[in-house]
Amino acid sequence: MGKLWGKSFDKRKIEENIFKGLMVFSMLVVLGSLGFILVTVFAKGFKALSWEMLTQGPQGGYYIGKGGGILNAILGSLILGIGATFLAFLFSFPIAFYLNLYLKKKSRLAFLIRFSLDILWGVPSIVYGAFGFTLMLFWGIPASLFAGMLTIALLILPIMTRSIDEVLKMIPLELKEAALSLGSTRWEIATKVILRQASSGILTGVLMAFGRGISDAAAVLFTAGFTDSLPYSLFKPVATLPLSIFFQLGTPFPEVQARGYASALVLTVIVLVLSIVSRLLSKRFTRHIIK
Amino acid sequence: MNIRQFKETIAHRLMFLLCLFVLSLVFLMVFGLYQRAKPILAVSSMKDLVFSANWHPTQGHFGLAGFIAGTLWVTAIAIVIAVPLSLLTATYLSEYCSRWVREIIKPVIDLLAGISPVVYGVWGMIAVVPLVRDYLMPFLSERLPFFPFASENYTGFSALTAGIVLAIMISPLIISIIEEVMRAVSFGVREASVSLGATKWQTTKWVVLRKASPGIVAAVILGLSRAMGETMAVLMVAGCAMQGFPKSIFDTAYPLPALIANTYGEMMSVPLYDAAVLLAALILFLITVFFNIVAWGILLYIERKEA
Amino acid sequence: MQTKTHISARDLTVSYGEQQALNHISIDIPDKKITAIIGPSGCGKTTLLKSFNRLLDLQDGVRVAGQVLVDGENIYDPGVEKTHLRKRMGLLSQRPTVLPMSIYDNVVYGLRIHGVKDKKILDQAVERYLQEANLWSEVKDRLHSSATRLSIGQQQRLCLARGLAVEPEIILGDEPTSALDPVSAEQIEQRFLVLKNQYTIVLVTHILRQAKRLADYVIFLYLGNLIEHGPAEQVLNNPRYAKTQAYIEGKFIEEPTIHKEITLQKERSADYLTSTLLALDELQVDQVLKVVVDSEPTMNEISKAVELKCHKILEVKRIDLLHWEIIIQKQNVNFII
Repeated sequence: MGKLWGKSFDKRKIEENIFKGLMVFSMLVVLGSLGFILVTVFAKGFKALSWEMLTQGPQGGYYIGKGGGILNAILGSLILGIGATFLAFLFSFPIAFYLNLYLKKKSRLAFLIRFSLDILWGVPSIVYGAFGFTLMLFWGIPASLFAGMLTIALLILPIMTRSIDEVLKMIPLELKEAALSLGSTRWEIATKVILRQASSGILTGVLMAFGRGISDAAAVLFTAGFTDSLPYSLFKPVATLPLSIFFQLGTPFPEVQARGYASALVLTVIVLVLSIVSRLLSKRFTRHIIK
Repeated sequence: MNIRQFKETIAHRLMFLLCLFVLSLVFLMVFGLYQRAKPILAVSSMKDLVFSANWHPTQGHFGLAGFIAGTLWVTAIAIVIAVPLSLLTATYLSEYCSRWVREIIKPVIDLLAGISPVVYGVWGMIAVVPLVRDYLMPFLSERLPFFPFASENYTGFSALTAGIVLAIMISPLIISIIEEVMRAVSFGVREASVSLGATKWQTTKWVVLRKASPGIVAAVILGLSRAMGETMAVLMVAGCAMQGFPKSIFDTAYPLPALIANTYGEMMSVPLYDAAVLLAALILFLITVFFNIVAWGILLYIERKEA
Repeated sequence: MQTKTHISARDLTVSYGEQQALNHISIDIPDKKITAIIGPSGCGKTTLLKSFNRLLDLQDGVRVAGQVLVDGENIYDPGVEKTHLRKRMGLLSQRPTVLPMSIYDNVVYGLRIHGVKDKKILDQAVERYLQEANLWSEVKDRLHSSATRLSIGQQQRLCLARGLAVEPEIILGDEPTSALDPVSAEQIEQRFLVLKNQYTIVLVTHILRQAKRLADYVIFLYLGNLIEHGPAEQVLNNPRYAKTQAYIEGKFIEEPTIHKEITLQKERSADYLTSTLLALDELQVDQVLKVVVDSEPTMNEISKAVELKCHKILEVKRIDLLHWEIIIQKQNVNFII
């Protein structure tokens, strides 16, 4: 045998195989946790899930096991989430657009804005909640749908802006230049060319932000409050799904806790659908981008 | 000036103002929280508030040390679990698995990141609490008595439970950053190492991981700050009873965010309570902002160097 | 002049997904000589080089068919221990790739991964190989500082020292001077001329003058095909085929227009030589004939015969496992007779 046939099972190979095993094991733990979470929530939640739960608000005595449902929270979360997403978009899109078309690539201001957004992304939602609370005290507004929307809008602003920013970054420079050279103003490019060209990418960012917005509880705890009635006014408290889960689990009654699990199932399904849809959109987007 | 140019000018100004708003947001938050926390700082010194564990709001004692310790304790447990898990997973994804495996696994891990903190809490209560109570605690405290595992808390709602749940929550973030940083390590240095006869693992260990180490540190810091600020899941599984400093991983813990969340009802009824809680929020804010600045600073530095 | 063969490729075909990077390359690389692989960029030079130490295995979706023999052993045999193979070849890449560690650790990296722990041996290796790479005097006082702080020319010499330290038999260079300033490039070239007494050196280069200065033997690749190979003198000064000539003269390499094409299969056309010559007779001067044959001896025979008749062979190329293609340009034969 020649020089090339070494001992295949030397110490290095053993070490490599041990670590490879550990890596696969770790990955399985991480993936397994996801499976574990989904299985737990589905298994526990499915039993208590009923049509009544999805279509009714809580009746009197809901939290000691009487009838009713979580429609208040589902509607509240959706309205609050949509409102906050809309508010945040009013800020995000212009900022992302400004970063990419008005500022140069190496602009110091652009760097600072992106850096601040990254930092804001890392700020815990409870801090946003506390900040929203100080704003409420300052303006004298009570815990309400409006205050909740405002706080969630602040919370998702960095996520949305940065993801739209990344999408706009990928739009080829030539496209921007071509539109400019045709005599359009930059604002016209933003609304006509870019919004169309990048719409699915932008939508992905918006959906991601929406998903984060409706799944957060800590930020709305002080600001949106909680109520058993369906949302009806911008300046009245509103129920949200995560808080509803939290409160139902906080009761000592097993049947109410079971409905808490069912509510968790509802929230998880909404979030999963959102992230899968946004992922599919972003796939489509990358396929259509002009290179 | 025609109407189109007028629109353009207005839009330009407005966008600039929005950008200024984002830039000032960090300072606005500091200012807002500080304004509300001021009353308590007028009565007691910062040192007392941070280093005293005497928490009796009705008597006017607002020592936050117990909560700060709880935060650190839970975060430390989460990091100890999450870092090896994430590092190994990210290494596998970036170095070992084939492209199609990676393209399947990564979105799945991203799904994990999207799950609501409250749902993590639910999972923690249903699954992790019994696991800790019925298996981990009896097992560890009987088999390894020399280790400080002993605790009076037999409920399963403990620092360890919170740490496990948090570790799973922050892993997707750490994994995705480490994986990105590792894949950014140039192909050339891997080739250089391999062409000297190194095995894949030797190359990974001595070259790729070493080159990616600043990014790995950044990822860990980001995970750390995420864990520190996580509220609802921790609130639901950590026990959250104030029993002084936690001594065992099986003790209950009461971290800062949980304190802030838990006081929403009684906050306004006790004098200075709200100021103390908002001070806690301010402290949490400053710590996480500091960590984020360091981490993003490292990541930006790497990006610049690569370019 | 017959020398020992060190590396040889046998019918080597490499493809990246759908795209073929190397087509049926068969070649012998002589022992303890400098062999230069030349050709325009993107023609498979680097692929050929990296097939010698199986570095291609690192990339996704690369398929290798055929054999590469090193000292007569096929390195693509399933049982081959790749790390042993690679240890026998040092690689210098286009841009120096220092490892993220100190100068000292860079040099001994290869030794350490192969299990050498003795400090004395490592120290000696550092001094010896840094000297061999002509870097010792410049860095001996800062061996433990980071290697990334060296100038780019020093980094490339450090990479050379690092490669030499594992005591290879072969040095592979992938345009090793292309990122360097002229002085550093000169230093590296000087090292190669010294090192070729102990090592077989294979160099990819797109600088013809460099090939002229260094090479004993030259391989010319074009679009994944082996166009010509032979002693440097011959290939560089007196190339046999049209494409080689065009490349060496810095002209645009063009595909000849084929005026007639014939396919000869051994069993059917017993007299393939006659067929070829008849086909040539039908053409006018300077027109081009393409002959496809199905064996190497036939190809050789036809080439020889046609050259004897003073026609010009533009190119000989293997198109797949069975078939060869000879491109012949008709010359004014009568004039010569």
